Amino acid sequence: MLTRYLFTLSLLIASYGVSTEHVRANDGLVVPRFEDVTAQSGITSFYKGDWQYMVGGGAAAFDCNGDQFPDLALAGGEGTASLFVNKSKQGGALQFERATSGIELNGVTGIYPIDIDGDGLIDLVLLRVGEAVLMRGLGECRFERANEAWHFDGGNAWWTSFSATWEKGSKWPTLAFGSYINPRSEDNPWGSCTDNQLFRPHDDGNGFAKPVALKPSYCALSMLFTDWNRSGTPSLRVSNDREYYEGGQEQLWHVEPGKEPRLYTDAEGWKFLKIWGMGIASTVFPNENYPSYFLTSMSDNKLQVLNSAKSDTGPMPIYKDIAYDRGAIAYRPYTGGDLKPSTAWHAQFEDVNNDGYFDLFVAKGNVDRMPDFAAKDPSNLMMQRPDGRFEEVGDAAGIVRFASARGAALADFNLDGKMDILVTNRRENATLWQNVSPSIGNFIAIHLHQEGSNADAIGAWIEVDNGNHINRREITIGGGHAGGHLGWIHFGVGDAKEVKMRTIWPDGQADEWATIASNAYYRLSRGQAPKAWNSN
Amino acid sequence: MVRWKTRSGGLRRVKSAIAVFLIIVTGALKVEAAPLTSEDVVHKWYTLSLALIRHTPTYSPPVASRALAYLGVTAYEAVASGSPRLQSLAGQLQDLKPLPPREAGRRYDEVVVLDTALATMTRDLFANTGPSGQQAIQRLEADLHSAILSAGTDAETIMLSENYGKAIAAHLAAWSQEDGGAVVENMGFPWTYELKKGPEHWVPTNPLSRQQQAPLLPEWGRNRSFAMPAGASCELPPPHPYSEDPSSTFYKEALEVYQVSKSLTPEQKAIAFFWIDDAMASPTPAGHWVSILIQIAEHDHLTLEKQVDALARLGVAMADAFIGCWHEKFRYDLIRPISYIRRVIAPDWTPFLLTPPFPEYPSGHSTQSGAAATVLASIFGDPYPFTDNTRERDGAVPRSFNGFIDASKEASISRLYGGIHFRAGIERGFEQGKCIGAYSVALKTWR
Repeated sequence: MLTRYLFTLSLLIASYGVSTEHVRANDGLVVPRFEDVTAQSGITSFYKGDWQYMVGGGAAAFDCNGDQFPDLALAGGEGTASLFVNKSKQGGALQFERATSGIELNGVTGIYPIDIDGDGLIDLVLLRVGEAVLMRGLGECRFERANEAWHFDGGNAWWTSFSATWEKGSKWPTLAFGSYINPRSEDNPWGSCTDNQLFRPHDDGNGFAKPVALKPSYCALSMLFTDWNRSGTPSLRVSNDREYYEGGQEQLWHVEPGKEPRLYTDAEGWKFLKIWGMGIASTVFPNENYPSYFLTSMSDNKLQVLNSAKSDTGPMPIYKDIAYDRGAIAYRPYTGGDLKPSTAWHAQFEDVNNDGYFDLFVAKGNVDRMPDFAAKDPSNLMMQRPDGRFEEVGDAAGIVRFASARGAALADFNLDGKMDILVTNRRENATLWQNVSPSIGNFIAIHLHQEGSNADAIGAWIEVDNGNHINRREITIGGGHAGGHLGWIHFGVGDAKEVKMRTIWPDGQADEWATIASNAYYRLSRGQAPKAWNSN
Repeated sequence: MVRWKTRSGGLRRVKSAIAVFLIIVTGALKVEAAPLTSEDVVHKWYTLSLALIRHTPTYSPPVASRALAYLGVTAYEAVASGSPRLQSLAGQLQDLKPLPPREAGRRYDEVVVLDTALATMTRDLFANTGPSGQQAIQRLEADLHSAILSAGTDAETIMLSENYGKAIAAHLAAWSQEDGGAVVENMGFPWTYELKKGPEHWVPTNPLSRQQQAPLLPEWGRNRSFAMPAGASCELPPPHPYSEDPSSTFYKEALEVYQVSKSLTPEQKAIAFFWIDDAMASPTPAGHWVSILIQIAEHDHLTLEKQVDALARLGVAMADAFIGCWHEKFRYDLIRPISYIRRVIAPDWTPFLLTPPFPEYPSGHSTQSGAAATVLASIFGDPYPFTDNTRERDGAVPRSFNGFIDASKEASISRLYGGIHFRAGIERGFEQGKCIGAYSVALKTWR
C-alpha cells in the first residue's frame, strides 16, 4: 500500500491568509494569483553587464541538498553567479538564503542543472562569456570545477545555450553547447557566429571526447534535445538569432549514436525559418503524442505543431505555426501603454492553475535601449483553455512588472502544489512571484529516478490520465533561455482525486499504468511503484 | 596595376620605403598602418551603414533608401565643399537650402571633414539601432579618429574640420526632419488601417504576423522627394482591370505567375534568391545597388569625387523611386499574386519567395532597379561588365552582368520567379524607375 501524502489546500489557505477575492473566474477560467515576494524572499541577484550580457541571464531550479525543495542558481553576467538555498517550509512563504557554493564565477550567462557523472548529485553547467565550466555537485549545495577531471574543454566563446541527452549505450551524457557572436568582433558582430559544439562521452567511459563543431552555427540562443518524432532518439533543435547570422535559419540536427551529427534537410521536410530565436519551450497538447514548440523571438513568436502525415519512416519535421489560431500571442505588451513590439526570452509551459492544461509563461524585456521595441514589456502568462486556446492573464494574475526580464524558472518552490515564478532581470534584481491562488485544481508531482547513469531519466516520458484527457511530458534538459529546471515534474489534474500515470523510460520500456492519489509528490524509481514523498 | 591611395601624392612611397627599412632594422613585428584616405572613410561608413540597414528593425526597404539618400548627399556635400570641381546640390534637391560655407583662408583636413560628417549623419540616421549597432558605430568612429590623430595633423585643423563636418551633418539632418519619413513607428506598420473593399484590393498575406495585418508605410508616397518634384511625378497607368475570367489579361498574368512557379529552373531560383533583398535579411534593394556601386568603386579605383557623385545620385534616385513607387502602390492598392491565385486558381499555392506586406502594383524592386540602372549607366556607361558579390555571405553565388541594364532587368524579373509580382507590375515598375532616375541624372554636380 502506498504511503500517501495528501496535501490539503484548505489548510494552506488558512495558514497563508489569502482571500479568495483575488481569484477571478472568467468564463470558467480559473485565474491564478501571484504575489511579488522578492523583498522578503532573500533573493538578490542582478544580471549585470553591457553588450556581452544583452542576452543570457538564465535561472536554474534544482535540488542541491537533497531536501527536495528546489534551490536556485542564477547567472550574474558581469557580476558573479549566485546560489540560493531554499529554506521555505512546505506551504509557507518562499524563503531563500544565499550560499557560497563554488559557482561564484563572473561572466556567467546561463546555468543548467544535470547529473553528469551519475553520482546522484546534481552538477551544473555554467555558460559564460569565455570558458564554459562544468561544476561537479558535491552535495550540500557545494560545487567544484570539473573541466579537467571530465576532460572537458570549455573553450573561449560567448556561450549562450545548452542541452543534453544520453545517447543509447552511453553512461555519460552528450552535451550540446551553443555559442553566440564572436566576442572579439565588437566592431562588426554580424556574421561572426562561432561554432556550436557537441561533446560526446569519451570511449574510455570517463568524461568527454574532443568536441565536434556543429557547422554551420548561427548564434544559438536556445537548444533542446527532443524526441520530436517519438523515434526513441532525440534530435537537437536549435533556435538562432537572425540578428547576427548570415545565410542562417532555425535548425534541427540528427544526433544518432555512433554517427556524425547532420542537419535535417529540405528533402526531409525541414522548412526554412528565420526568427530572432531566443528560447524554446516544449509541450504536448492533451491527448497528443508529439511535442509542440513555442519559439520566442522579437515581435511575433511561434507555436509549432507537427503537421506531417505519418509514413513508414515516421513523421517528417514539418510544423505549422498555430500561435495566432490558439491565441498564444505575445507580440506586443498587453498592458502598460507601450504598443511597440515585444522582445521575448525564456518560455516555459507549466500548469499554474492545476486545471489539467499546460499554461505558457513568457519572460520579456527590451534587449537594451532599442527604441523600436517596447521598453515597458511585461512578461506574459497565458492560460490554456480546454479548447486549446490561450488567454493572457498576466495582469489579473498579478505578475505585471516592467523590468527587462530574461531568464525564468517556474517551479513549486514551497511544495504547496502550485507553480511559482522566478524571473531574472537585466540590471535589476530578480523577481520572485509566489503562487498564492486559494482555489485551483489538484496536482501530482513526480520525480523520476533510475540507477546508474542518467539518474534523472532524461529522455523519459510521463503520461498522466486525469480521467478527462491524457497529458504527456518529455523529460528534457535544455531549451528555455539560458536556464532550466530539474526535479519535480508537475501536472495539474483538475478535479481528479486520483489519476493514472505511467512512465516510458529513456530506453523505451513502458511501465504499467498505476493509479495514484492527487495532491501528492511521488518519487518514482524505475522498477518500483510510485512512492509518495512528504517532508516530514 | 596597383593604385596608391594617398593624400600626399608620391611621398607615400618614400614613407613606405622608410617604414619597411625601419621595421627590418628594428625587428619590429608591426607594419605601419597606411594613412587614412577619404576613400577609406567612405568605404568604411558605407560598409557599416549597409550592415546597420540589415540589422535595424525599422529599416524596411523604403526607410533604407531614404537613409542612403541622406548619406549620399552628406558624403557629396562634405567633399564638394572643398572641391573646385563639384558644386553643391543645394537648390537642386527639394527644399535643400545652401549649406554652411567654409571659413575663408582656413586649412581643412578633408578626411576629417568627411569622416565627421558621415559619422554624425550615421549616428543620426541609425539612432534607433540596437546595442550592437550602437557599439559598431562607436568603434568605427573611435578607430577612424585614432587613425586621423596618428596622421599628425595639428589639433587646430582637426577641430576646425570636425566642426565643419558636424555643421554639414547638422544642416542635412535638419533638412531630413521635414520630409515625412523621419519618424517610423511600429516598424512602419500603422496602428490602425482600414482595408479597401473590393476583390482587386490588397489583403494581408502573412496571417502569422500581427503587425502585417496592415500594409507597410501607406503614407510613404507622400514624403518629400529629393530630385523629382513629387511622388506623383512619374505616375503609372492603372493595372490591368481586375477579373477572374480566364480570358482576361489579369487572369492570364496571374496564371503566368502560377505556371512559372511550378517549373522554376535552378537558375531562376538562384536569380530570385540573389535579388531577394528582404528587410532584415539583406541591405534591401537600395542597399544592394549601393553595394554594387561600392564594389565598382573599389575594383575600378574611382576617384573620390566620382564616388561621392555616384553615391549621391544613386541614393537620391532610389529614395525617389520608393516614394514614387509607394505613391502608385497605394493609389491602386492591387492584390498580390498569392491572394489572387489562392482565391481563383490554386488554393494551396505557395510562391518561392515570401510576399512582402504591401500592395503589388508596381514592383518596388523593379522601380528601384530601373532608377538605379538609369543613374549608373549615365555615369559609367552601359555595357559596363561587373560582378556582384553582395549576397555571397548569405550563400548566394556572385553573379556577373554585362552592365547595369542587364542587372536591373534580372532584378526585376526575379519578382516573377519569386511569385510575388505580376508581369505588368514588373515592367511598368521598371519604366517608372527609369523616369524617376532621370531626375537624378539631371542634377548638376560637376562645375
